[in-house]
Amino acid sequence: MDSFLRPLAAASMIVAGALASTAPASAQQAPIKIGIPTSVQLQVGRDTQNAAKLAIEEINAKGGLLGRKLEMVVADETENPEQGIAAIKKLTADDKVNVLIGGYTSGVTLAQLPHISNAKTIYIGVGAASPAITAKVKSDYDNYKYIFRAFPINAAHQARALVDFINGKLKGEMGLKKIAIVGENAKWVQDLVPILKKGATDGGTDVTLAEFFDTSTSDFSPLFAKVKNSGAQYLIVVLSHASSDIFVKQWHDAQVPIPIGGIDVKSQDADFFTRVSGKANAETVGMFAIRAPLTPKTIPFWDEFVKRFGTAPVYTGIGAYDSVYVYADAVKRANSVEPDAVIKELEKTDHVGIAGKLVFDELHDVKTGPGLQNLLFVQWQKDGARVVVWPKEAATGPMIAPPWMSN
Amino acid sequence: MLQILIYGAVSSAIYAMLAVGFTLIFGVARILNLAHGSFYALGAYAAYVLTSLLGVPLFIAAPLAVLIVAGFGVMMERFLVRPLRSSQLAVLMITLAVSLAVEQALFITFGSEYRNVPSFVADKLSIGGVDISGQRLLALVAGVLVLLGLWLFIQRTRLGAAILAVSQDPEAAQYMGIPTNRIFSIVMAISAGTAALAGVLVSPFLTVQPTMGLLPMVKAFAIVIVGGLGSIPGSIIASLILGYSETIVAYLISSSWTELVSLVAVVITLMIRPSGLLGRRAAF
Repeated sequence: MDSFLRPLAAASMIVAGALASTAPASAQQAPIKIGIPTSVQLQVGRDTQNAAKLAIEEINAKGGLLGRKLEMVVADETENPEQGIAAIKKLTADDKVNVLIGGYTSGVTLAQLPHISNAKTIYIGVGAASPAITAKVKSDYDNYKYIFRAFPINAAHQARALVDFINGKLKGEMGLKKIAIVGENAKWVQDLVPILKKGATDGGTDVTLAEFFDTSTSDFSPLFAKVKNSGAQYLIVVLSHASSDIFVKQWHDAQVPIPIGGIDVKSQDADFFTRVSGKANAETVGMFAIRAPLTPKTIPFWDEFVKRFGTAPVYTGIGAYDSVYVYADAVKRANSVEPDAVIKELEKTDHVGIAGKLVFDELHDVKTGPGLQNLLFVQWQKDGARVVVWPKEAATGPMIAPPWMSN
Repeated sequence: MLQILIYGAVSSAIYAMLAVGFTLIFGVARILNLAHGSFYALGAYAAYVLTSLLGVPLFIAAPLAVLIVAGFGVMMERFLVRPLRSSQLAVLMITLAVSLAVEQALFITFGSEYRNVPSFVADKLSIGGVDISGQRLLALVAGVLVLLGLWLFIQRTRLGAAILAVSQDPEAAQYMGIPTNRIFSIVMAISAGTAALAGVLVSPFLTVQPTMGLLPMVKAFAIVIVGGLGSIPGSIIASLILGYSETIVAYLISSSWTELVSLVAVVITLMIRPSGLLGRRAAF
């Protein structure tokens, strides 16, 4: 039934976006258009737009790009591939944007790829994590050279970071030997879980259960009971599109005697803790950035974002802000907006971003590693405080147990 | 296996609350109400607005939310459905339109964010080693009480007898002096109220979101097809079948298969017994 309504929502957002961006068109030349395909109804989508707007305004305030103003056009790609393709077609064919910055759902982005390639428009992904998205850059460079991913690090890199958390923190520091892994039934999770399982097993941790659940699951009691019966001492969760709210609430209400942590995208929201009445206490969440001096830009950006939009940015916001700058720098170096010239310059990107240095590998995928983009493990603690617990060198406090397990 | 018994009972009770109202309004007024899921969503949102935004204590907010939605159901029946009742297709379309309008209104008013309703009961209970949150147990108890109350109401009161009479033959009932239109309003209030109550009871352990009515609507429809359109005992039996089979599938196979159960049940029923387990006549 959603599909009846989405075009309406999309249309209203597009109008709003267009109104917001037509204000100071003082430059004689036509503006450079940045198309934002994203899920406008979700926090990830709102932050993509807000952060891109912030970067665009900053660049325009300094005289724009090649003497032209930047302009933002938004289209709602929802979480549905069909709507996603419609959004790309609208942005490339109707609005004739110079670059696309956005994305959230890997399945949607994958469906969009051929259409992006047909439109010969540069695409910088800031939300979807499936490694399959940039895999085509290598196998079919001529057609897919337009595709870049600036954020987040891909699911395989995330899996490695999670394996490091399992082997380093859980096994190494806490001595836990048995874990269970549960994840939503989605493309990026299917990519991620096997790597996770192998990594944990190779590191000497016993994976007692690995299970997927449907993204519309609303009753997790059977799952929690199974995890408990499997004898696991820690539950690794991998979810993004399923309801983190329901998952965490039911975990807390049933006082499941197993701590949880992992990659849980909606738990990254700044208001998550209050949204679930504090029931996220002791959940550990992998985050791509947090308000800490990761680079000289992190804290100024974070504070400016909170001041302007009243909420801390989620990961897509960080990616979108960096991507606008990365694109603008490449255009400046190429002295042109011609895709081929800009792609050559984008490939040379070495940009100090919000969460670390941003460098693309030969697949046009963002690199991970010390000083580059990473995954931090941050625990929700009392009263909604967020404490980095892993990696060790970035930790800001000790990890706590759920209240019902601490005595 | 006690786990399956308990969790299955909770799911079944919630499904039964949804399905009974859906089948009742069809059985009595021949209204195939596609807006039934909206009542569920509106109940949850009303509870959210009353508790989280207006600060009303939960135990007052819950009945208030049910009353508000029952009122909404009555209004819908009186002003939108009744003028179109001569055509079953028009009724189907108007209820679909209402459900879309409600969903969109919730989107515009509240956005797509997840909202939270506080728990009625914060405690966790252990029954024979099975951990269950108090809130879920409350949903089970309330569901059983509501169904029992409804049964007594229909079997033992004059109004209940009138409802039965209208469901058997509306014209004959009218000749006997039963005000059919008023009966339709009352049944719609009951139907909307039970769906809203289900929404209020589950929102603390699920979440409140504009599209939340869609899946329960599909489930209610599936249950009613399996049980037989218009048959209350049939829908209760089908709720138990569906609630338990989903729980069993989640335990023995995987949670990712549970959403298929209701579809498979519908297909099998339509193939083997199109009128449903206890359907008195073909649905249409």
